[in-house]
Amino acid sequence: MTKPILIVGGGPAGLAAAHSLGTVGRSSILIEKEDKLGGAPILSGYAKLVPTGEWAKDAIGGMVQRVEGDSNVKVLAGNTVTDFDGSPGNFTAKFSNGESAQVEAAILCSGFTHFDSVNKPEWGFGTFEDVVTTTQVEQMISSGNGVRCPSDGRKPTRVAILLCVGSRDRQIGREWCSKICCTVSSNLAMEIREELPDCHVYIYYMDIRTFGLYETRYYWRSQEEFKVKYIKARIAEVTSDGEKLIVKGEDTLVKRPITIPFDMVVHAIGMDPNVDNTDIADTFGIDLEPHGFIGSGNTYGSMAATSRPGVYVAGAATGPETIDDSIAQGHAAAMAVLSGLHQPVEKTA
Amino acid sequence: MPIHEKSLIRPENLKTHDELVIDGIDVSGHWSTFIEPRVVTDYNEALEEEIAALPGGEYIHRCWQCGSCTNSCTVHAINEDFNPRYWIYLIRMGMESELLRDKDIIWQCVSCNKCTYACPRDVFPEGVMKATSHWLERKGHTPMSPSMHFDEVFTEQILKTGKIEESRTIRRFFSRTKQGLFQGWMIEMVKQLLKHLPIGLLTRMGLATFIAPRTRDWSRAGSAMQEYIDEQYEKQEQALTLAQLVEVAREDAAA
Repeated sequence: MTKPILIVGGGPAGLAAAHSLGTVGRSSILIEKEDKLGGAPILSGYAKLVPTGEWAKDAIGGMVQRVEGDSNVKVLAGNTVTDFDGSPGNFTAKFSNGESAQVEAAILCSGFTHFDSVNKPEWGFGTFEDVVTTTQVEQMISSGNGVRCPSDGRKPTRVAILLCVGSRDRQIGREWCSKICCTVSSNLAMEIREELPDCHVYIYYMDIRTFGLYETRYYWRSQEEFKVKYIKARIAEVTSDGEKLIVKGEDTLVKRPITIPFDMVVHAIGMDPNVDNTDIADTFGIDLEPHGFIGSGNTYGSMAATSRPGVYVAGAATGPETIDDSIAQGHAAAMAVLSGLHQPVEKTA
Repeated sequence: MPIHEKSLIRPENLKTHDELVIDGIDVSGHWSTFIEPRVVTDYNEALEEEIAALPGGEYIHRCWQCGSCTNSCTVHAINEDFNPRYWIYLIRMGMESELLRDKDIIWQCVSCNKCTYACPRDVFPEGVMKATSHWLERKGHTPMSPSMHFDEVFTEQILKTGKIEESRTIRRFFSRTKQGLFQGWMIEMVKQLLKHLPIGLLTRMGLATFIAPRTRDWSRAGSAMQEYIDEQYEKQEQALTLAQLVEVAREDAAA
């Protein structure tokens, strides 16, 4: 009798892995520290997803339903793994509810943590109510209330989106590019322009990284159809004159200092390693890569490997990742587990 | 230059007082030099929309500032200050005062359209240059030049009669540019014409001077053209808020 496979984290990657294993008749235990499944798109209330444009609650909600209705998947919400011991094919996992289980392998789909903008105080988050994050704007849209200034509920007529908040910044020890914020920001800019056609949206950037096909769907489209304006400038500080937020910086293309009034400033927050990563690394006996994400091996020999045989990783746990790719990696990790158990890959000479 | 920022200081922003005493200390002349800030304090969001409302400017919002237009520009090769990429940016961000600093060179575009073929986003920079020149003209930033008067005289005549009668064009051009008709070269030219042209042709030319020749059935074509021009002109007046300005001025006058 085969033992189940442990999946840690019920976001897009974990849901995909559980579904994949279920379709080939393998049982799994899906453990999630929050009380419900869905991961960041559901728990943080994302609006329309890139690149499909489907609402997160429908798209990821559908994945949650599919897993919850799968008799091969045992969901353990509101729980964490406290201990993990053994060898491939024969691990023992202990959970915070006191239970334990024998499992064949584990897939870590523990995701990321949104950057906390309080760590960049010069950009006004936590000081001025109308300085918000991309996640908050997602929530304004997904709640159906629309994009409004939190201070007084008015419709903004001019919005600034600051890119690379918590990314590409040695000052705060975050040197990585969070990969998705450019695309998410141009998507939000279009949504703002659609809801509030009289509201002008400016995006302050160092580089625009709407990679691959996102170039035309988001960067170009936001300029060509929605007239979103992009300004190459790293903002120095966000202050207030008592009425409006004042964005200060240098417009590098005209070599002029700027102090521009705005109704709302949005931080395009990056993806941090999951705050629990050091605990996860201790519990599972795996290595983290230098930025603090879960280290993954090369993909040529075996997909989704960590530093410990029998423990796999998928999604944004390995570094900033898109939802689509997290899902793909979840499926790939499931396949890696199956092939690892049945036919260990030998390295070619 | 050891401090490159010095090159960013504009002569007109340098303030020096020949006679200045602060707290009993004489800081006249060089000692009282101040530099006025170059800070941009707001965006004029109407500017891009105004240029976009004029023919040629429709696609300005596509620009992502790659500089292909400036790099391929015929005029830029001769005059570094001629920089379509820069002006497109100023327009998009609404830095009107900065744009106006270059009002005397923007119209120098020779419409070679190299930029049109270089632009990866189909902004049609040549069109933007045209639209910007018209914008400067319509907003009254550029005084009427002799060539503008000539264009006007020329166009008016075409719209009215469908034909050009040169002597009329010249007479009106001179009159509008406040130049006398009897100029030496003119008198000499008429003398030579009288001497060398066949009598039949001279008669026709002479008659045309008094009775303007017209294209047959021109009135319908002419009025259709005029109607279209008026329509476009009015649309542009609206877009450039010129009509509103006129309205406000009228109300002010009435009050």
